[in-house]
This record gives sequence, C-alpha cells and structure tokens, in this order.
Amino acid sequence: TATRAQSGLLEPAGSAGVAVLATGGVASSPGPGRPGPLQDETLGVASVPSQWRAVQGIREETKSCQTVSIATANASAQARNHVDAQVQTEAPVPVSVQPLSQYDVPRLAAFLRRVEAMVIRELNKNWQSHAFDGFEVNWTEQQQMVSCLYTLGYPPAQAQGLHVTGISWNSTGSVVACAYGRLDHGDWSTLKSFVCAWNVDRRGLSPRQPSAVVEVPSAVLCLAFHPTQPSHVAGGLYSGEVLVWDLSRPEDPLLWRTGLTDDTHTDPVSQVVWLPEPGHSHRFQVLSVATDGKVLLWRGVGAGQLQLTEGFALVMQQLPRSTKLKKHPRGETEVGATAVAFSSFDPRLFILGTEGGFPLKCSLAAGEAALTRMPSSVPLRAPAQLTFSPHGGPIYAVSCSPFHRNLFLSAGTDGHVHLYSMLQAPPLISLQLSLKYLFAVRWSPVRPLVFAAASGEGDVQLFDLQKSSQKPTVLIKQTQDESPVYCLEFNSQQTQLLAAGDAQGTVKVWQLSTEFTEQGPREAEDLDRLAAEVAT
Amino acid sequence: MAEVEETLKRIQSHKGVIGTMVVNAEGIPIRTTLDNSTTVQYAGLLHHLTMKAKSTVRDIDPQNDLTFLRIRSKKHEIMVAPGNLAFHFLVKSSFYFAR
Repeated sequence: TATRAQSGLLEPAGSAGVAVLATGGVASSPGPGRPGPLQDETLGVASVPSQWRAVQGIREETKSCQTVSIATANASAQARNHVDAQVQTEAPVPVSVQPLSQYDVPRLAAFLRRVEAMVIRELNKNWQSHAFDGFEVNWTEQQQMVSCLYTLGYPPAQAQGLHVTGISWNSTGSVVACAYGRLDHGDWSTLKSFVCAWNVDRRGLSPRQPSAVVEVPSAVLCLAFHPTQPSHVAGGLYSGEVLVWDLSRPEDPLLWRTGLTDDTHTDPVSQVVWLPEPGHSHRFQVLSVATDGKVLLWRGVGAGQLQLTEGFALVMQQLPRSTKLKKHPRGETEVGATAVAFSSFDPRLFILGTEGGFPLKCSLAAGEAALTRMPSSVPLRAPAQLTFSPHGGPIYAVSCSPFHRNLFLSAGTDGHVHLYSMLQAPPLISLQLSLKYLFAVRWSPVRPLVFAAASGEGDVQLFDLQKSSQKPTVLIKQTQDESPVYCLEFNSQQTQLLAAGDAQGTVKVWQLSTEFTEQGPREAEDLDRLAAEVAT
Repeated sequence: MAEVEETLKRIQSHKGVIGTMVVNAEGIPIRTTLDNSTTVQYAGLLHHLTMKAKSTVRDIDPQNDLTFLRIRSKKHEIMVAPGNLAFHFLVKSSFYFAR
C-alpha cells in the first residue's frame, strides 16, 4: 500500500499519514538532486485509529439476585394402626321343645312304661305320708323376740309438736323416710314441716340427726318412695299439693310439684302412690287421693311441673248399689277418699277407702264420665265398680294382699279390721283390735297370713291368721303414754324390719322375730282356703 | 305315640301334680307341660343334680344305682325318675288345693 499511496491519489488522512511516513525514508535523504547511498532504516510501528469503525463497547452493570430465604418447619406424621374387630351377640335362642317325631318313640315309650308304675306309686305314698308333717328346717339363726333397733326423731320437728304422719322405705330397703305434720288440725295451718330420712344401713347412724332433711312449707300427710329410684320420694301436703323430692340433692331437693292450679286437690292429700306408666315400665306416675273425692294421676314434665294425665272423681250417686248405704245421695256430693291400695296382680285395679267407711273396688280403665262440676283440665271419670259393706266409721287404711288376688284389709276409726274378698260385699272376717281408732294396716310382704295394724292406743299389733284369728300374736308397745301410732311400713328388702311412726314424732324401727320373716310351708294354701270361704 | 301321650296324661292328672317334664340324656326337654322358661330352668338345674346324685350312689357302691330322687322344699316337691336315656321330672305340690 505504501507504493500505491505514493502515486498521488487522495487518500483518507489516515493512510495519507502512512504514505508520508512510508516515503519518509526516501524523502529524508539529504537533499534533492543529489543521489545518496541507499540505506535501510527501520522505523517504529505507527498505528492509526479508525474513524469509521466504532468500537463496540461493553456496558457493564452489576446486578445480583437472591431468593427469599425458605422457611422450614419440622412436622412429623404417623399413620395409626387400625385393627377392625367385630363382636356380635346372638339373641338367645329360646330352647324349643323337640317335637316328638324327632325322637326315638319306641324307646321313649319303653322308658315311660317302665317308670310309670314307680312314679304313680311314689305319688300315692307321698300323698298319704305324714313323714314330714311339722318338720321345718331353719337355715338361719332364730330370733325369738321383737326388739326395737332404732328410735329415730328430728328434734326441731318434735319441738313443734309435730306427729309422724307418713313413713316409707326406699327401693333398696336401707333408707326410711318420715313425714311430719299434724293429723288433728281442723283448719288451715301455716306450719312448716319436714321430711326426714335416715339410712339404717350406715354405720354411724345418729338417731337425732337424719341423713337428709327437707323443709316443706305445709304439713306433709303422706309419703311414698319411688319403686326403683332410691332417692326420689313423693309427698302429699295439707294444702292439696303433691311434691316430689330428690333426697340426694341437699341444696335443692324439690324435683316436681303440682302447684296450686285448678287441677290440684282442694283438700289435704290422704295418700300418694307410685304407678308404672302403661307401656313404659321404667317410668312412673304419681297417683294422689284426697278427701275432696278426686283420684288424680300426675306425670312429671319438663321444668319441675307435675301435669295431670288422668283423673277420677267419686260422686255419691255414681257408686254401685251393691250394698245398702246409710246416706241417701242428695245432689252431687263427693265422697272423700282416705286411702288407696293397688292390687299386686292386676295393675289397673285398686281399692279406695272412703270417709263413709265403705271400701270401693275401682279400676283405672273405667270409662264412664263423673257427674261432677269440679274444674279439671282432663275429663274426670267415675272409677267405682263395687261397693263393699261399710265400717262403723271412716276408713284410714287399706292394703291388698301380695299373695292372693282377691283379698284386702281395711281398718278404720271403729277400731275394726275387716278382711274382704273382692268377690263379695260383706267382709270375710271382722276383728276388733282396738277401742280407739286404727290408723294403719299393712300385709306382711313375706308371710301370706300376717298383717300389722297401728292403733290409737300406742301399739303395733301383729296378727298371724295361722296361729290365732282372734287375738294378736305380738303386741308391740310403741309409745309409753298411749299416744297413737299413725303409720307403719314393712321393709320388703330386709324383711325383718318394721318401721312405725307415732304422735310424739319418733320413728321406731322394730326387728321382728324369725317367725315373721319366712314363709311357712303351708301358708299359701291356707290363704287360699281362707279366701275360698266366700259365703254363697 | 298314643301310648306315650296317655302315660304322660295319667301322671299329669294325678292328684297334686303341677307339671311333668321328660328330658333326654343331654338334658334337653323332650316333653313338658310347663311353660318354656320354667321348663328350661328346671331341666338345666335338675339335670346336673340328678347326675351328681347318680354318681354319688354309684361311688358309694358300684353295684348300686339311683332309682328315684325327691327334693322337698317349703312350697313344692320335685320328683325325678331317672333312666338311661331320659329323666322324668315331676314338679308337684305336696298339699291339697281346694277347688
């Protein structure tokens, strides 16, 4: 290129510069016109920056990036081991009696043939044998006498002069409860009274201090423990109310009350009884009878209220005319009911004792409407089916026999106890036990022929119809000053116990001798024979 | 078959008999005049007692054997007639029922 540049062409400056330099060696020879010696010269390198060629610069920036720190957490999971197992009970298959066709009939026939003669012979011998007459086996120790186990009382109630008006044993037989009130008040009283309970099975039983005390605003006239709940007790008040308490809750024992509505009794309640609800055998209703002539059936609903489910009213004209009564019915006079007892064999059948002295056979299933003008939310029906011969005065207690479906006892102010059969109006037996009133009579729960009666002379009389039908077998003097004994109850779990409450406010628990606690060999039959003496 | 029925009826209608039951060697009732639950209860309980009585008699004297077993209680008497294939139980009251 250097030679070309020399040719004189206009070249860009850059190369022109090179051309100048390149011929510089030649040009720097010492003067024109003079031929000098040719010499070699080396020159430095010349660089020419380009003007049209841009330099691609690299622009740099520093950038950094970073991920957000990863949050980590530790958690552990574990699979649970499941094991499935099935359990199934099989309904007990009722053992069915094998039909004869499956059996080896000829062998059975042969067996019977062989055995029959011997069996008949033994039966006959048995029939005529006197070998075991009078032979009695005693498995337990004999208790010869009747003794007083406990004398229980509540001093504040006794200080007010209250009487024990009702007594009841609970379903387990270990708690006895008594109701305080007065039986001789003729008018409205504003007495506060009490319901007290003692646990006789507890070791540290303190006779003056009940294990449970409930204060009640009005006198309590009757008491009944719930048949299956050991702490529920129902009571009937002087004001006509029926209350149910739970003795296991000391701070607020009141469970249900009837309140004072149109349905409540207008007279003092004479007796309360627990009945199983038809169809639900584990639920119970309360039946109350009072001298206003009403028999009412209550059920506990919701907030502590006892609601009337069924009601009956006794009206004089609707009583069956099976016996001639002294009073002639005039108008719609009510018949006051003073006692009630349910039959153990037919749950709808009950006996009412009345102020007129005649027991009535009644049924819960009666359908006829009662001719009464008493207000009621439930239609009142007339329950009476049969009227029995009257006592000489009002009846205070009735009791149905737990061993015979037709027998019941009634006791009243005439001092007599009548044994009735439900099949006839006049009584089978009439016994005079006392010259004063009789306040309570109860059949023994274990001996079919024994009953106890509480008299106004302060004694408890135990009658054994097997031994003597004229005089009591045992006479227990409860009070020293002859103040009356108002109520008594046998203990059906601990059959040797009998509790009786008197006018001095004490409850005495008596232990009976063994002869009263176990059934003798022939009693059921003797009872049947007694009942069969129905006059034709 | 008729003979069996007649025999049983004769025994059942004897004075004072409440119920009759025939039980096989395993203790299962074959014939009974009592209700089902009572039958089952008696059969179960009496079978064991009868076997025990039988073995007691034989243990005392191997040549001997149980011929009859009677259980007398306050209310009833139970009579058991044993056999090699069946036992015959009678539940009877020892006293007279007034009609």
